[in-house]
Amino acid sequence: MTAIKVEHLHKTFRIPHQKRTTIFETLTGVFKPPTYETFHALNDINFTVEEGEALGIIGENGSGKSTLLKIIANILRPSSGSVTALKRLTPFLELGVGFQSDLTAAENIKIYATIMGMQKKEIDDKLDDILKFAGLENFRDTKLKNFSSGMQVRLAFSTAIQTNPEILLMDEVLAVGDMEFQQKCLDVLNEYRKKGVTIIFVSHDLGAVRRFCDKVLLLNKGKQVAIGDPTEVIDKYVYSKVETSPLDNNDPELDESKVQNGQDDLTSSQTPDKIAEIVDVKFYDKFGHANTNFNSLDPMKVRIFYSTKERIEDPVFGIALYSERGKHLFGTNTYLKNYPIDSISGNGYIDLLIEKIPLQTGKFLMTVDLVQSKDYVPLDHKDKQYSFSVIPIGYEEGVLGLSCSWVLNSERVV
Amino acid sequence: MIANHLKELYDYRNLIWQLAWSEFKLRYKNSILGYFWSLLEPMLMLLVLYVIFSNLMKVQVEYYQLFLLLGIILWGFMSRATNIGMFSIVGRAGIVKKIYFPRDIFVISSCITALLMSIFESLIFILFMVFFKVPVTINLVYVPFILFFLFVISLGLALALSALNVFYRDVQFIWQVLLQIGYFATPILYTIDIFPENLQGFILLNPIARIIISARDTIIYSSPAKIEDLLFMLLSSIVFLLVGYIIFSRLEPRFAEEI
Repeated sequence: MTAIKVEHLHKTFRIPHQKRTTIFETLTGVFKPPTYETFHALNDINFTVEEGEALGIIGENGSGKSTLLKIIANILRPSSGSVTALKRLTPFLELGVGFQSDLTAAENIKIYATIMGMQKKEIDDKLDDILKFAGLENFRDTKLKNFSSGMQVRLAFSTAIQTNPEILLMDEVLAVGDMEFQQKCLDVLNEYRKKGVTIIFVSHDLGAVRRFCDKVLLLNKGKQVAIGDPTEVIDKYVYSKVETSPLDNNDPELDESKVQNGQDDLTSSQTPDKIAEIVDVKFYDKFGHANTNFNSLDPMKVRIFYSTKERIEDPVFGIALYSERGKHLFGTNTYLKNYPIDSISGNGYIDLLIEKIPLQTGKFLMTVDLVQSKDYVPLDHKDKQYSFSVIPIGYEEGVLGLSCSWVLNSERVV
Repeated sequence: MIANHLKELYDYRNLIWQLAWSEFKLRYKNSILGYFWSLLEPMLMLLVLYVIFSNLMKVQVEYYQLFLLLGIILWGFMSRATNIGMFSIVGRAGIVKKIYFPRDIFVISSCITALLMSIFESLIFILFMVFFKVPVTINLVYVPFILFFLFVISLGLALALSALNVFYRDVQFIWQVLLQIGYFATPILYTIDIFPENLQGFILLNPIARIIISARDTIIYSSPAKIEDLLFMLLSSIVFLLVGYIIFSRLEPRFAEEI
């Protein structure tokens, strides 16, 4: 059964150049019609969410995710189109809505729980549980203003999870908080999922979305780019953040001009006599686009652009990979890989092909080296200046991503 | 549609009460002393007005203390309900932007807060009644209706003001001025017969004036309310509530964007 249906949804905001906030201004400005900027926040959004399904909404900042969620929650009204919710909605757009600092913990729980749609009897029954879960039993009659912000969040959270939602709307604000808190949130979400609650989930945490959602909606500048299978849609999102033109159009001349313009001056100016230099490093995804975000276990191509002032015999290119905290993970060079290069001159690039990125999640730094092998004369060294991020695709933990599989063999092998 | 909305409000009755009660407690800073402080204001007002009007201006009215106090309490309710109500949306931006329930709940609960405050003040009035040995008669049956009309009219005003205040922030100042004018144009301090006949008719266009006069007649002076007054009150409460709701529901969809 369909739980939520969104049809041809448009939302435009009219942003006045000069906002009139008083009757006086409106009267004096009666002959000067106000001028507006129209901002199309959502443009023809269509989707349905089935009962018990979890829909993730992803997209850049300002792509309309939160606006969409607010329209579904009936806080904002659509400019045209319609949203039909066939079940009771419980929005978790922010924790602790309606908290009053001058009321006590117990009073605030009562009000907040009522706002979240709980019945009086239910609240009275659960009041002690809520305080206990938040670890605040001893502060029942303490005014909220005497609580630390962490205590307030705990109080709000433990109240919020007592609700029995039929459709849960969740904004990324819940991702604020420490690891333990985030884990708690995810546990609660999983609990709800098991109970068959329909969930709409806005997040920047692609790992969580992938793990958690049956369906993902990708928005870009208010337009619905894709909806469907999480893996496909997230792929589309990760690899659509194109930073430069596609591979084929990437001619070295472009980079040469960059050098001449002195864009890389920071390092080269210190050593003006450098005869060869690494101009830039780019990472290319499986679609051949320069990118800095990669899915775990996807292919990657590292392209090192160099520029030399004279002919260099026997150069060796090397890279080293570091974790964000500087731990050395991997290193290789053309010599170790038995890829001798006779000489280089002028401008050019060299590619390092990685079949599968053996990393799970996180940001990684790359150091690139260029040396002359004959007497190991260092020509250029860019220490951890290039970085890329890896986004997890599964539930696995840790830094490394091994492609592996289990095989059970129940016959006893002697 | 109206029936649907009433059912929705009924479902949210607990929330209406919670909001009203917490606001009431906040107003009195949650302390017993706070409640007594709040009584001080009308009492001082009463004292000052009584001294001035009965001694200096030589107003000759039977039970003038009660006459004054009832007027102050009834007017005070309307003024409070509209003042608290006017800020009930603007002052709750955090909720309005983050969660949905029928927005008039805020306004209704504000009026209930004002009602709670006025009931509290009425205790003093009842004490005065006992002290001055005012006879209690069957005419008190009119009182609930009169008070109900007062509540509905105040709610209508509060609905319109709360919505307008979201879009025009000077509504609050304009309303203060209007309240001030109304305070003197309504027979709170004086009896209506100090005015010539033709001006009296004009004063009586104000439903609050009729409410205060009828309340005094029935509570203090043991006389029945006039049918024409009751009808006028009924009619004006319908008009005020209707107009209030029309303004409110017209502006309500854009609250979250404008606030």
